[in-house]
Amino acid sequence: MTTATTAPRAPEGGVATGEPDLWCTYAAVRTLSWLGRGPSMAEPDLTAGYLTGRRNADGGYAWSRGMLSDAWATFYCTQALRDMGHPVPRTEGTAEWLRHTWSGDAYAMLPGQAPDVWATHFSARTAVEVCHVPPPDTGRLLSWLGALQCADGGLSWTPDDARRGRADVRACYYGVAAWHAVAAAGTAGDPPWDVAALTAWLRDRQDPGAGFRFSADADVPCMWATYRAAGALRALGAAPRDPGGVRDWVLGLRGPSGAFVRWEGYDVEDVWASFCAVGTLRALGLPTEPVADAVTDRIAALRCPRGGYTYREPQAAAEALGTAAAVLTAAPGEPTDGLVRWLEGCQLPNEGGVMYMPGRGSEVRCTLWALAAGAFREDAAARARVAGWLASLQNPDGGFGYWEGRGSDLVSTAAAVEIAALTGAAGGIDAARAVAFIGSCRAADGTPGACGNVPGAPPSLRAGLQAQRALLVLGGQTDAQARAAVDALLARHRVRGGGFANEGDRMPDLLSAYEAVLAADRVGLPVDTGHLHAFLDRVHGPSGTRWTPLAPGSGGPLADCLGTLLARRLDDAGAVLPALALS
Amino acid sequence: MNGTTVPTDDDLRARVRAVLTDRLGDAFASVPSDAELQQALGDRYDSLTAMECISAVEEEFGIEVDFVADDVRYWFATVDRMTRFTRDRLEDAAALGERS
Repeated sequence: MTTATTAPRAPEGGVATGEPDLWCTYAAVRTLSWLGRGPSMAEPDLTAGYLTGRRNADGGYAWSRGMLSDAWATFYCTQALRDMGHPVPRTEGTAEWLRHTWSGDAYAMLPGQAPDVWATHFSARTAVEVCHVPPPDTGRLLSWLGALQCADGGLSWTPDDARRGRADVRACYYGVAAWHAVAAAGTAGDPPWDVAALTAWLRDRQDPGAGFRFSADADVPCMWATYRAAGALRALGAAPRDPGGVRDWVLGLRGPSGAFVRWEGYDVEDVWASFCAVGTLRALGLPTEPVADAVTDRIAALRCPRGGYTYREPQAAAEALGTAAAVLTAAPGEPTDGLVRWLEGCQLPNEGGVMYMPGRGSEVRCTLWALAAGAFREDAAARARVAGWLASLQNPDGGFGYWEGRGSDLVSTAAAVEIAALTGAAGGIDAARAVAFIGSCRAADGTPGACGNVPGAPPSLRAGLQAQRALLVLGGQTDAQARAAVDALLARHRVRGGGFANEGDRMPDLLSAYEAVLAADRVGLPVDTGHLHAFLDRVHGPSGTRWTPLAPGSGGPLADCLGTLLARRLDDAGAVLPALALS
Repeated sequence: MNGTTVPTDDDLRARVRAVLTDRLGDAFASVPSDAELQQALGDRYDSLTAMECISAVEEEFGIEVDFVADDVRYWFATVDRMTRFTRDRLEDAAALGERS
């Protein structure tokens, strides 16, 4: 069944880098492992190197090299390495990093952040399955997991979300899988929920057509929801109400290669669809051998030349940030309509934001970049969908996370506020609560303007400036207050030789320089263009723009985009920097 | 060390190697002084580690590196270049009569 919001085809075009993606790599490796086809993987050492290369010195892993460790990346990297039979390096360091993300009740995505069920699932499993250590306090973990149950029986992202009645199939799966992993390690007993109510809620998500929806409000049943529902039911010792119907629905969603598509009406056999389809068949106790050859062949076609996997053929695997970057830096007169249409095609059923790659969840920063590149400028209905999605994303603490159910952070909150402004939907978010979240990120010592990315985190330049930008849009302070705070932040983090440092005043970086000029322009402070040119000249080279003076080679299309926009602004005081942010 | 005496290159190199060994561990021991550290050590000498090494060299020799004015990617790519960079800074300081 399709609705008007279902894209008839996957978007074609966009900018593809041919680079691997972590979630895609995990999905490919795990699917091959489930099928017993791991040995078919070509050049596994390259993929193992891609995964181990994401390990930071703190023991956690990052989505891409040089970024902060998070629970999501740590789970995907370590689980994929384990599936490949590759040693997971120095797990004692990873266990130590996990301890820093423990809130006292559950796990957060980053140290200091509020816990959510995504992170708790990832890190509980990393702890017991990879590091072979129990969570710091299993009793409190089970209490927290138990508090995820909504009045209607389903599980939500956090206990606060559960009180708001926001159950989701994915939250059910992650909560159940976290409990299951801890129980399998022998440190937990019975599930901490009304299992009959949870089972009934999950079964009720099955559509008359036999696929599952994320929630009653979801637009269409999809492979992702179906796998998560079947997996959660299996872990609870139950099954869908109509398992035969599920089997037929899954096996009916196959493309020309014999691999799977995400939902009816979609035409790309992406890696997640096959991952979810094979996972569903396993959860139902059905044989996977009949689909193994086709799925294995399809996954082989998604392998990137230097290791790792992406969601479709590498030459066609466009992504939203790179595509938006190409639009934003296009030369005058250069046609970009096709790229903008591709970005608009990343608004798919079930979530109204823009997806990093079509077929995965909507993401705040990608939505902001797409809007900044002109997506939906002429489409009020699509903007309204974005606004509705954004409003639903606001957490009980008033902030926003990267995607649905994620804990709040400042970079996402500032991005969400900018999205609201761009879509004309500022009234759709609760400004007072957003201001309160920003206030909770202020540095405890009262240093003017100083904020951390999450409450209690060390202050940084970008978090402070993002807070000021967001407060200005939200009406949380006067122009004069914002100007004084930005001025103090810039003075504190100005690097003598050129540019600005995110921490201290030694190592300048591109993101901080961009944010500094953006914030200065917003509050009407003058920009020292000579000082910033010195920095840009140092990071700009024939192969592109680097993130820092020490970073190797080019930082890729996003660094090139920010560097180009910043250079244009320095050369033209009338140029307006779009409010782009990554971290 | 005082402001008028700059150690020999061999002394400087040995001290640079000692500083790096503390940060990079045993894997560094067999890396020749003219080898590109990033190529020799791969992920173990990423930009974050390089920054730690630069800070350690600054502390060891009482010099200051400017991450914009100085071409840090070039000067901190090998032990030999670090040694030359450090020697130049110490000589500048000595010429100015400052304590280094």
